[in-house]
Amino acid sequence: MKIKSLLASLALVTVSAFAPSAFASGGPEVKFVGPSASSTDLESLQRGARLFVNYCVNCHSAQYMRYNRLSDLKLSEDQIKQNLMFTTDKIGDTMKAAITLNDAKEWFGAAPPDLSVMARSYSAAAISGSTDDPAATLAAYLRGFYQDDSRDTGWNNLVSPNIGMPHALHELSGTNKLVETVFAADGKEIKDDHAAEAKARGAFIAATTMSSFEHHSEKKDGKTVNHYVVKSLVNAAPGSMTPVQFDAAIADLVNFMSYVAEPHKAKRIQIGILMMFLLAFLLAASVWLKKEYWKDVH
Amino acid sequence: MAGTPSNHPSMFKNPVLNWVNDRFPLTALLKTSVTDYYAPKNFNFWYYFGSLALLVLVLQIVTGIFLTMNYKPDAAYAFGSVEYIMRDVDYGWLIRYMHSTGASMFFVVVYLHMCRGLMYGSYRQPRELTWIFGMLIYLCLMAEAFFGYLLPWGQMSFWGAQVIVNIFSAIPFIGPELAVWIRGDYSIGDATLNRFFAFHVIALPLVLLGLVAAHLIALHETGSNNPDGVEINKGPKGNAWSKDAPADGIPFHPYYTVKDIFGVVVFLMIFTAIVFFLPEMGGYFLEYNNFVPADPLKTPAHIAPVWYFTPYYSILRAVPPMFGSQFPGVIGMGLSVMIFFALPWLDRGAVKSIRYRGNLYKAFFAMFIVCFIVLGYLGVKPTSVWGQFGDWASFLDTRDIATWGARVLTIGYFAFFFLMPWYTKADKTKPEPARVTMH
Repeated sequence: MKIKSLLASLALVTVSAFAPSAFASGGPEVKFVGPSASSTDLESLQRGARLFVNYCVNCHSAQYMRYNRLSDLKLSEDQIKQNLMFTTDKIGDTMKAAITLNDAKEWFGAAPPDLSVMARSYSAAAISGSTDDPAATLAAYLRGFYQDDSRDTGWNNLVSPNIGMPHALHELSGTNKLVETVFAADGKEIKDDHAAEAKARGAFIAATTMSSFEHHSEKKDGKTVNHYVVKSLVNAAPGSMTPVQFDAAIADLVNFMSYVAEPHKAKRIQIGILMMFLLAFLLAASVWLKKEYWKDVH
Repeated sequence: MAGTPSNHPSMFKNPVLNWVNDRFPLTALLKTSVTDYYAPKNFNFWYYFGSLALLVLVLQIVTGIFLTMNYKPDAAYAFGSVEYIMRDVDYGWLIRYMHSTGASMFFVVVYLHMCRGLMYGSYRQPRELTWIFGMLIYLCLMAEAFFGYLLPWGQMSFWGAQVIVNIFSAIPFIGPELAVWIRGDYSIGDATLNRFFAFHVIALPLVLLGLVAAHLIALHETGSNNPDGVEINKGPKGNAWSKDAPADGIPFHPYYTVKDIFGVVVFLMIFTAIVFFLPEMGGYFLEYNNFVPADPLKTPAHIAPVWYFTPYYSILRAVPPMFGSQFPGVIGMGLSVMIFFALPWLDRGAVKSIRYRGNLYKAFFAMFIVCFIVLGYLGVKPTSVWGQFGDWASFLDTRDIATWGARVLTIGYFAFFFLMPWYTKADKTKPEPARVTMH
């Protein structure tokens, strides 16, 4: 049929328009290679909960998350009360921060955001060309801290540069330092831009699991000069965890934060699968019904 | 009340039905609108979307009613009340996801329904009023979606509304006062949220229902068009069900009701898959930034309207400011929506359906669809998405390739409409069949 071929060619044209441009400019690309934890792994979620109440709820609230909902994670009310509740003694309460808003504003310059739905929203503007998944971005952010003495808190972040939050988990991770390598195309080292970019990209790919790639161009004497910067983190002082253990802990923490952001997710998927079976049955019935009636028409 | 014996309704065995029929034309209404409404027998895939739009409307109203039971239209509580619905209300998450998915799916269905109208010339004489009512429904739906999008009071709700209301402030002379009048404040605030809530939950749904009724009444007056674009009412009479009915017509009920049930089930499978497995739809149905509470002091780096507005938003951005005013862009955007109203009078083709149109029309139609989709895509993205022209282009007002792309596409978009009187007339059409064809 003519219309079908027309639609097919339309689809082709439109799809090709969406192909990402190789020259898309924007912020730095951040590479993050790390473990992730399964949302059905209850032990991971429990470990994440422990990290969350110990390290996050000091400053951040999760004001829409009730403590007793943690029974989703197969924890009894007593277990929750004894191990996870530090800011209240009522199990039906929501997770409130240990510090007051005014203190927080004074210490960090801004109120620490509420973490109830953080894992669904986290999108550092810095990350482009990287992942769109908010939870993965959040994990990259939590691992992106490095020592920076020019900052008030003494910390900076590869994913969200100059953010007010200090590295709350540094006793676990130890101290990371930033290593910056600049590949310039204007000097003696490398003659042409493409080689500089290729070399920089090579370094970006070879860098540690946490790195960023930036492209800067500036005008000098009417000529455009390109710089390619690869930033990566190197462990300078060990913490109580090895880097591998720390990455796994971050995976647990983000897993828990994703759960907090949508506690009914597991139930949602379960019901969804049932619904699809039900609809498949209805589909068969509706096909049969239609065929039966339309016998008169054909 | 006496009627002719053959037509008199009180001939049923059911006394209740007879009692009702003596006082209210129940059977007569059902007859004229479903059982004795003869629709062309050659409806294809594209004819599912009318009934699906009705289904989504009902879904939105029902889920909307349940949402209002727990939602609080107050700037201090709105975001929290949505999270309360998502967590503490039994199956509140399901109701909310159905409503948010329904909003986007409403536009998916309506765009496909409109595309059908374009392809088969359903807007043309004698169905101009059906088309106009349909367009009014579309405008109403856009307003409904816009007002509703503010209610979750997230960052995108707030800044999206800020951007859209600011569009009105670009109108010369009265603009700034008009924007304040719409918001009820100098910025989007509690007063804005309250009035948008009122519009979203009662004012516009009432108008929408009235328009849907008018759309259907007008349709049933003229009868439905079909993929061949020929009038079954002008063809021979007499079919298996009635000797006066058009030969190519079949009763809407049961034939199209059972066919539409199949369409509904397929639609529900897609709808259910989104609601249960992909409620954010990759950030297009529920934007990630909208999980951050509205903050008037923190402008997001990239503000994009929800996907169904983006073709028009792209046009707004593409038109360059003139005489230091953004107003030309606003006119461009307004015109790009309103121009659809003129379609019945712009089209001078000898045939209605794309099946019998010539290559000239098909080329323009294809171009229009490509323009609409790519403009929609560009509207989601920042203007830097396609990179920039090199230094040679420094004389241009912007070096963003995507902005220039959008300009070309905007011209293509309007060319489809403004050149329509010419190319539909110059088009080498094929002869229409005398009767509808079945494939």
